[in-house]
Amino acid sequence: MDIEFSKEDLTFQKDVRRFINDNLPTGMEMWTKRSEWFEALRDKGGWDVHKWPVEFGGPGFTPTQRYIFDMEMGRNSTPPQLPFGVGMLAPILMNYGTKEQQERFLPGIRDGSVNWCQGYSEPGAGSDLANLRTRAVLSDDGSHYLVNGQKTWTTLAHIAHWIFCLTRTSSAGRKQEGITFLLMPMDDPGIEVKPIITLGGSHSVNEVYLTDVKVPVENRVGEEGKGWTYAKGLLIHERTGLAGIQNSVLALEKAKENARAVNTGNGTLMDDSAFKNKIGALEAELLALEFTELRSLASVSAGANPGPESSIMKLKGTEIQQRISALNLESAGIYAAPWGTQSVGPNFSKGATSGYLGGRATTIFGGASEVQKDVIAKNVLDLGS
Amino acid sequence: MDLSFSEEQLLLRDSVEKFISDKYSISERNKITATEDGFSAKNWQQFADLGWLALPFDEEDGGIGGSPVDTMVLMEEFGKGLVVEPYLATVVMVGTAIAEYGSGAQKAEIISGIVDGGLIASFAYAEQQAQYDLNNIATTAKKDGDIYLLNGTKSVVLNAQSADKILVSTRTSGNQCDSDGITLFLVNATAEGITRQDYPTVDGLRASEIEFKDVKIPADNIVGQLNKGAAIIDKVVTRAILAIAAEAVGAMEVLYKDTVEYTKQREQFDHPLSDFQVLKHRMTEMFMEHSLAKSLCMKATMLESQGSIEAKRTIHALKYLIGKSGKFIGENAVQLHGGMGMTEELRVAHYFKRLMIIDSQLGNSDYHLSQFTK
Repeated sequence: MDIEFSKEDLTFQKDVRRFINDNLPTGMEMWTKRSEWFEALRDKGGWDVHKWPVEFGGPGFTPTQRYIFDMEMGRNSTPPQLPFGVGMLAPILMNYGTKEQQERFLPGIRDGSVNWCQGYSEPGAGSDLANLRTRAVLSDDGSHYLVNGQKTWTTLAHIAHWIFCLTRTSSAGRKQEGITFLLMPMDDPGIEVKPIITLGGSHSVNEVYLTDVKVPVENRVGEEGKGWTYAKGLLIHERTGLAGIQNSVLALEKAKENARAVNTGNGTLMDDSAFKNKIGALEAELLALEFTELRSLASVSAGANPGPESSIMKLKGTEIQQRISALNLESAGIYAAPWGTQSVGPNFSKGATSGYLGGRATTIFGGASEVQKDVIAKNVLDLGS
Repeated sequence: MDLSFSEEQLLLRDSVEKFISDKYSISERNKITATEDGFSAKNWQQFADLGWLALPFDEEDGGIGGSPVDTMVLMEEFGKGLVVEPYLATVVMVGTAIAEYGSGAQKAEIISGIVDGGLIASFAYAEQQAQYDLNNIATTAKKDGDIYLLNGTKSVVLNAQSADKILVSTRTSGNQCDSDGITLFLVNATAEGITRQDYPTVDGLRASEIEFKDVKIPADNIVGQLNKGAAIIDKVVTRAILAIAAEAVGAMEVLYKDTVEYTKQREQFDHPLSDFQVLKHRMTEMFMEHSLAKSLCMKATMLESQGSIEAKRTIHALKYLIGKSGKFIGENAVQLHGGMGMTEELRVAHYFKRLMIIDSQLGNSDYHLSQFTK
């Protein structure tokens, strides 16, 4: 057993750090120089798509390099990439798409010129996603599908150029069969987007209504009726990326800093033992979760499966995120109350409440925590049906 | 980075696993804990023959040069079997003190005695008024010519009734809670002036209250330097916490797995209990608590093995987490076993009790959380 990275991995880590140091925009430039950052990543040799295989322009990182890369990027709060194209659709196109589809869609995904959104959930299909009802009917001449139905909780549909959708092409057999994976441009006259304002007051999710949307068959990915299989692989991908450990490490440091700025009359909030114990408990659990991730990385690097412990990453990681955001609410104190972007109260109180409220979503999306527990019970503990 | 065990560690794990499955069923263990000494001398000799008692010691002292990671491998398996032999007291605690700080003569006597199985030793560090502050020492050692006179009372000294040697922390100068002025003495268990009150503990072990009244100790029996014992205690506690944390990880694994198996077999309302989602989710949480505790145990042990400065803080986090998850898994194992969980007959109760007592040893969950946040 050796807790240190190998010499090669340490060299790689230095390289990543140097790159970040040389190229990461700071302050307001974080917003204005976003595209320069991604260009620099690309020019470094496919670091903009660091999980893509070499044949599609990725850098061919080992699992450990991928981990180090993610960790360094997370620690430095580098500009995030929207996950839907690069992280979620691209692997499906690479595995199941035609060469034409790959050539048509991957470049726009990579350079960020085409935004994608994910059309999975429906009013009647949340945790039970396979229950989806949006119908896609193949035309008699076999040239296109006519799609009717409704998607919901569609993140960033209002800025997306395209949507990838799960649709029902057959009701025979099991629910999971008869689902087909289709791609549609959002400017189709049959697509209407309505905002959903969530409890933190922000707009990121939407309802998407699909009315007689005509989708040419060349926009179907893979075989008709096999969409569930493709999406399932992708959902696992989504879940493993959601633990957000490095973000939580930073968020916890920030939460401590906030608490140190709160005077309680008896020192600061960080001197309060009840508060401090919550911080300590979180830090201990975060250390344990971080090492749990390393354990599954070690299994993968050794060529084995990620191991049962990897299943807890999303479940525990999101719970920790929520508990950290609750600490900020405590630091905000009476300034938890002002709604919206009022310029009152200490700086750190702004966004504390909306952060806490918005963060409730993390244990719901990408497989609700209760569904994750069902999955662990079945797959890891072998607890029946 | 390499988180896999070495060939030797895998062999060690397999041999302890085999010993547990051959010799340590819960009924065998019950027989052992019912004996006078509370452990099996035959097992102890077998530990010596298998080299387990030599595990952490340097080769030049007659050991086999293992690291805390090796001890973790062994203790995790011991935890799965709820082994009661005095490994913690003798090898981990007194062994660490002598191996790291003892004189050549002390090493020659104590380490070789431990290694060949002939010597049982225990560490008297706790006192009633001190709770978990091990620098709070009222027991005194006063110089009297060439010797020291020991006076005071030590609490809950593990395996003292079987010990040949007792390592005692005393105050030789300064105030009662100072870290300076603590001195450790190696005392013959049969020395004149020692009175013991022996008793069984909740988890099936043996402990004693020990009173020292004008016990005469030669100055040669000081371990390490006069007045500098706090550092020794610190090292011993570090290694002992890692050992019982690994033991707890093993015990937790048995508990969550036993619970899963039991709920698959037990039927109520025409279903196996394992069909009920509320129970499935509880068991998932038990599994998660175990995974996280095991991760942090591995991390802290590796840091200590590599002499990292982060080790100490991580060990506080570990003992906090072990206490918390041990309690959660233990309580829920009993709860999900229903009435059967309340009996002495099933092994669940015994694992639960051991986890409870592990939390109470060397600083409980709350104590280490407050140390961690300091």
